Amino acid sequence: MTGTLTRLLRVLITLLSHHRRHPLQTLFLLTGLVTGVALWSAVQVINAHARASYAEADQVLGAQASHWVRSGSGEGVSVDDYVNLRRQGWRSVFPILEQRLTTADQSVINLIATDLLALPDEEAGTATGLPAGGWMQLVTPPHEAWYPETLAQQLGLEDGDRLTLNSGKALPPARVFSREQQGLRVFMDIGAALTLLDRSHLSYLVVAELPGDAAARLSRDLAALNPDLRLVANQQRLDLTELTQSLHTQLAAMSLLSFAVGLFIVFNAVRFSLSARRHTLTTLRELGVSQRLLLGAIALETLVMSIIGTLGGLGLGYGLSQLLLPSVAATLQNLYGAVLDYTLLVQPVTVLQAWLLTSAGLVLALAWPLWRQAQRSLQDQRDEPSQWQQDQRARRRLALGSLVLALLALGLYFQLNSIAMGFTVLALILFAGAGLLPWTVALILRGLQRALPASAWRLNWACGEGLAQLGTLRTALMALLLALTANFGVDSLVDSFRTSLSDWLQQRLAADLFVQSDTLDIDALLANPGDWLVESHRRNGLTVRWENRPTQIRGLNTDTSDTRALPLAAETDRSSAWFDGDPDVVLANEQARYLAGIELGETVQIPVGQQTVAFEVVGFYHDYGNPAYQFYLPYQRVAELWPNAGEQGLGLWLNDHDDALARAEAALVAAGARPGDWTRREDVLAISLRVFDRTFAMTAAINALTFTVAGIALLASLLAIHQQRLPSYAHWRSMGVSNREWLLIAGLPLGIGLLVTWLLSIPLGTLLAGLLIYDLNVLSFGWTMPLIWQFEPARSLFWLTLLVAGFTFAISAVQARLKLPQALKHLGEDAA
Amino acid sequence: MLRLNQVVKHFAQPDGDVTVLSGASFHLPAGRSAALLGESGSGKSTLLHLVAGLDTPDAGELVIDGHSSLSMSAGDWNRLRRDRLSLIFQQYHLVPTLTVLDNLQLQARLSQRLDPAFRDHLIDRLGLADLTRRLPHQLSGGQQQRVAIARALLHRPALVLADEPTGNLDEATSERVMGVLVELVRETGSSLLMVTHSAHMASFLDEQWRLQHGQLHQQHDQYNGEPAL
Ligand SMILES: Nc1ncnc2c1ncn2[C@@H]1O[C@H](COP(=O)(O)OP(=O)(O)OP(=O)(O)O)[C@@H](O)[C@H]1O
Ligand SMILES: [Mg+2]
Repeated sequence: MTGTLTRLLRVLITLLSHHRRHPLQTLFLLTGLVTGVALWSAVQVINAHARASYAEADQVLGAQASHWVRSGSGEGVSVDDYVNLRRQGWRSVFPILEQRLTTADQSVINLIATDLLALPDEEAGTATGLPAGGWMQLVTPPHEAWYPETLAQQLGLEDGDRLTLNSGKALPPARVFSREQQGLRVFMDIGAALTLLDRSHLSYLVVAELPGDAAARLSRDLAALNPDLRLVANQQRLDLTELTQSLHTQLAAMSLLSFAVGLFIVFNAVRFSLSARRHTLTTLRELGVSQRLLLGAIALETLVMSIIGTLGGLGLGYGLSQLLLPSVAATLQNLYGAVLDYTLLVQPVTVLQAWLLTSAGLVLALAWPLWRQAQRSLQDQRDEPSQWQQDQRARRRLALGSLVLALLALGLYFQLNSIAMGFTVLALILFAGAGLLPWTVALILRGLQRALPASAWRLNWACGEGLAQLGTLRTALMALLLALTANFGVDSLVDSFRTSLSDWLQQRLAADLFVQSDTLDIDALLANPGDWLVESHRRNGLTVRWENRPTQIRGLNTDTSDTRALPLAAETDRSSAWFDGDPDVVLANEQARYLAGIELGETVQIPVGQQTVAFEVVGFYHDYGNPAYQFYLPYQRVAELWPNAGEQGLGLWLNDHDDALARAEAALVAAGARPGDWTRREDVLAISLRVFDRTFAMTAAINALTFTVAGIALLASLLAIHQQRLPSYAHWRSMGVSNREWLLIAGLPLGIGLLVTWLLSIPLGTLLAGLLIYDLNVLSFGWTMPLIWQFEPARSLFWLTLLVAGFTFAISAVQARLKLPQALKHLGEDAA
Repeated sequence: MLRLNQVVKHFAQPDGDVTVLSGASFHLPAGRSAALLGESGSGKSTLLHLVAGLDTPDAGELVIDGHSSLSMSAGDWNRLRRDRLSLIFQQYHLVPTLTVLDNLQLQARLSQRLDPAFRDHLIDRLGLADLTRRLPHQLSGGQQQRVAIARALLHRPALVLADEPTGNLDEATSERVMGVLVELVRETGSSLLMVTHSAHMASFLDEQWRLQHGQLHQQHDQYNGEPAL
């Protein structure tokens, strides 16, 4: 037993000695593993974090509310009104106070307070993460302030510490929680908070559940109690987990792509090292080491590598996720209104998954080739086909495999019905393209060789050299193709989206001024406007639940110029009735069409109070980026069906006099609007596009990272190529090949390979963008847009590739030049 | 054609400096061939590398085709190798992805001294006529070495340097390849300096020299050699 173990260790040490002798190869192997795992785990960490945040958001006080009670004037809900409501029997209403506070040392914190006693026991328990009754200290003097751990760390607080505010007052003694339960906010009892902050008004009231006609009754009671109070449906009450699913799937898919690119580096490094390790393996076998023992040692080496790779990858991934999180948070916030805090958790399951993934990758890229090499090593080496022939065979097999993948993709495509399936098709296409690449490059090189005249013998030689390099260059080119395709595809998607969105916004935001005001008396403004006003468009609306989703009802003025110009994605011949104000027809957004599955001409039942009202769907409009279903009805119709529908903004067209804006602003102020309630068209547009760009910042970041990994793969294989080809280069030198000739012959193949890769990435990327836009986008978000193909991303990717390739080639060429004198001295010897 | 004057070469090794050449002198007139014999590790390959400018001596002078090693830059060496020298090794160093024809024309093209008639003559003499369209891996070892020889001679070098060119071949093949190499070198009018372990192979050449303790001694051998001039 111990004998076997000792022998195993000895074999392992012999195997591992390779890494000491070739540190650069090992470095690349680990780089591939670490970067691949890092990107994957970064996204994994973010996704896990987001899921935790959503679960938490569902529990955080108030987020599960079906409605809010808010004050129209913005001054808050008085404690007296709240107490009166509770007295009237509204038990499901509880108070929230939210306040930003500045501490004595100028940090800003957010305070949230509620009345835990008003919450049902069960909810209080889940909301605070405390066992029932654990909150007694919170509500009884001297009270407590509860801090999430990360916040406490930032502020340097420990249990029992009192935080001093810049007003000189101190919060109650701190209690630090190891779990997040209130975002990054400090939690207090409402009574204590009101006293401490010296306030008589609550921020708003939360209404947990309003069964039956309770909403209408509460509305009436509120009106009777205080006309300033409004019942507002909670539009944020989305099932975030479900809504954001597709985004997280996309992130996961992108991270797996990065991992695949990382694996290419590993594969590259291993392939390169195999030839060097063949001798060791042969020797070991000749020395009588059994296959079992060798397999055990290879498995152990793989294990060692996988542990190093996993730990390194997770460490780097954690750092990366911290870099990516703000942009992911922005995306989620902008697309779904989901709020993510910035603290990350690494869960044990992520570690385990990362390790499994790494091990699987290593078995594929390291252990399997090593094992095959070990088995083969005792066969007559002379029978082994030349390296070049092996490469050729591998290329052919890859191309055939690609064909199979492509066929599989095609077959799956016609049954596409889920996002996961969509990504499978994408992956199949990407890998099919990658597998076809080496074969294509070889085909072109050979075609060039054949087509070139005898006088172009240098080019012919370069093509030949390219074929010789291809075996090593191939994986890097494939990795690069994946990165280029993903970049081009996603860039095309984002560009299309941006162009569509901007056109759509231009059309939608036709008015010169947009007013959103709680205090403006619109009737008064429009009753007697003056000649500065050319046209106005008034909207109202509310959110109802339809088909189990928050669904927006919007009332529009149907005869305004912007409504008249509304482009429809699809319509029936009855669509003109809607524009004429027909009360029984409705326009719906594409989300309702693709996600809820309603069709043109169909009748939909929209809930109005306790009943539903039937409308005929006569058209669908684009509604980019909206996670909710939406219906357009005439303004009057909405006002009549839902008397408590709120104003959703007012669009004003001004005449072209110089003073029109000034006069409009004066009129707005006169009618009760406050400065800041209106925005000019250009500003709205700019803000929207800025939001858009922030939303897609993450995509760009991940793309850039994938490209970096591909760049590393390229560097690794160029170094490997020049290492492998060094004896040949030395021999050329001995024939008197000049530096310039060498650069041409050794460098041109890379240029050709890159050019073919780049060229191939354009149709592949277009295909990718097409799939993303026409299929996956519809499946995930429920809206369509045209694919706007542009050459621009391809052009910039070309320069980027050239830059990366030039840089890596220069490094590897300098390396080769430095080693050349040594190689020249060993010219006559057997190449090891 | 080739002259060595008191050439010295040391190598730094972990176990101290090794003196490989300690003032070796040697003269090879134009058009003559010499075999370089010596024990393994005696410095034969090192000497050949010095002659080809692939390594530099620590002291002494080499004169190759009228050029002194004392006044040659790296570029000069490169041009000299390209136009006036050729090297043949145990490894054939054929470009695996170029045809036999392209391979054997490589150096002649580099030096712009490709003479089609001479090429066809060489191909014929080396028995490569049916093989020109093949790729190297489709040839036997002996055939590959013959391609390497054709490549080394096509530009009519002044001096051919060969380091155990037949080391990878069996005896019968070795003999045939050696025979044709010596003949063609004579035909071309080149000089030849060839490292070999085998006294039999050495006997094909005009002179035999032995490298021992860092010095070169001509052998007036027992086969058929006559002393050099
Ligand atoms: N680059 C080098 N660095 C250090 N020592 C070297 C180097 N090249 C050769 N040597 C040493 O110089 C001596 C001569 O080596 P060389 O290769 O010239 O021998 P050789 O006569 O060609 O041997 P063989 O017949 O085995 O090919 C040896 O002791 C060798 O270890
Ligand atoms: Mg030698």
